Amino acid sequence: MQLTEVAFRYHRKSPWVLRDVSFTLPAGVTEVTGRNGAGKSTLLRLLAGLRSPTRGTITGRPARVGYAPERFPVDQPFTVSAYLKHMAAIRGTAEASIATWADRLRFDHLLNVKLPDLSKGSAQKVGLAQALMADPTLLILDEPFAGLDAQTRDELPALITDLADAGTTVVVSDHQRVIEAVPGITRVRIEEATLAQAITASDNAVMEGVLEVVVSVEDMEAVEAKLRAEGYEVRRPQ
Amino acid sequence: MIALARFQVSGYVRSLRVLQPLIVAFLFITMILLQKPASAKLAAGTLGDVAAFMFPVWAWASRALLDTQPDEQRSLSATAAGARTTPAFAGLIAAYTVNLALGAIVLAVPTLYAGSANVSGKAIIAGLALNALVAAAATMLGAWTSRAILPDPGISLLALLGGAAAILLLSLGPLGWLAIPMVEWLKAGHDGPTALVDALPALAAHIAIWTALVATAYILTRRTRP
Repeated sequence: MQLTEVAFRYHRKSPWVLRDVSFTLPAGVTEVTGRNGAGKSTLLRLLAGLRSPTRGTITGRPARVGYAPERFPVDQPFTVSAYLKHMAAIRGTAEASIATWADRLRFDHLLNVKLPDLSKGSAQKVGLAQALMADPTLLILDEPFAGLDAQTRDELPALITDLADAGTTVVVSDHQRVIEAVPGITRVRIEEATLAQAITASDNAVMEGVLEVVVSVEDMEAVEAKLRAEGYEVRRPQ
Repeated sequence: MIALARFQVSGYVRSLRVLQPLIVAFLFITMILLQKPASAKLAAGTLGDVAAFMFPVWAWASRALLDTQPDEQRSLSATAAGARTTPAFAGLIAAYTVNLALGAIVLAVPTLYAGSANVSGKAIIAGLALNALVAAAATMLGAWTSRAILPDPGISLLALLGGAAAILLLSLGPLGWLAIPMVEWLKAGHDGPTALVDALPALAAHIAIWTALVATAYILTRRTRP
């Protein structure tokens, strides 16, 4: 998927949210970072095809797009089950996928609950399920970890990388900094209305820094072992 | 497309928004339509009157149905539907289906009365066809005032009422070809069953062309605003 000189603003007189964005979306997982209001959600909506660029072009969007919004719209007169059945029908997906994703995302006990009665985290799971159940080739997740319980939050990165390994292109924005621990992801940053910086996974090796930790002599062995166990390279001063 | 239309109708019915036009329809039936017309001429005229009265109600119902989905759900439906024009078509199918059902409820009594007043079968079919066409035109007015096109609820309501009033006023004057021929069909209906049958082809062509043009413009606009 290719973005060529993409610029976007919501209204003719409003400021540009994105300007001169040229970028090839790589395979695998891409994390979009940036401060609040930088335009992350707008970029995600452009990628999902929910907005058209004011200028420039976006080409090569896969046919099956899954999009999970930052806030799932709970103000709808359906139970979770009825809602997901409708979404499965719209996507032409078998209803069996509802049970699969309800189980994987741990909300199978909420299938008969009405959408307005869901907690924020549970609603987030329904939003994820409707995006995931169509076996999307492009998956756009806007702040997917917000409000999730600890167990699902811990399991979701592995689920995302599994999908990426199976060929799905995944784009995630994440303020909770859950996805950043995942190895091999591409990171792009929106700054001053453009993709100012793109740090790829291979660049991370160059970005290593040295941190000195002062500990008592008797704790040195224990701290060294602990840091090594967590994957850090530990060197003793010569 | 049909699945998305069904989802929208289901949301509209379950949210009980459907009660609003139903209450108006039942008031219309009990206060006016239950009075039996004295002649075949009046019975045929009633079929045209229903189309004129229901025009703003159908437009209102269409707008309410299309606005039942929250904005973010419109986005989810759009990604789920795939093609960019699918949500626009699905919304129109949903709104038109609901409007046809509303029309069927309102027209049941006038159709029975027309039958018992010896209005010819041809004239009754002409009256029902006229209503089906007017319902499509009204659906389009409602669609143009829905939140996807006019996000501000105040402006949208003003556009709905103003649009219905403008269509009525335009149809009175020399710029009648710009609007749907409301005055012409009311006149044809009240001129009797034969006049209604004779006038139908021209009326139908006018309403169909108007609806097709407005629908095309709507779909082209709506596809850029999921």
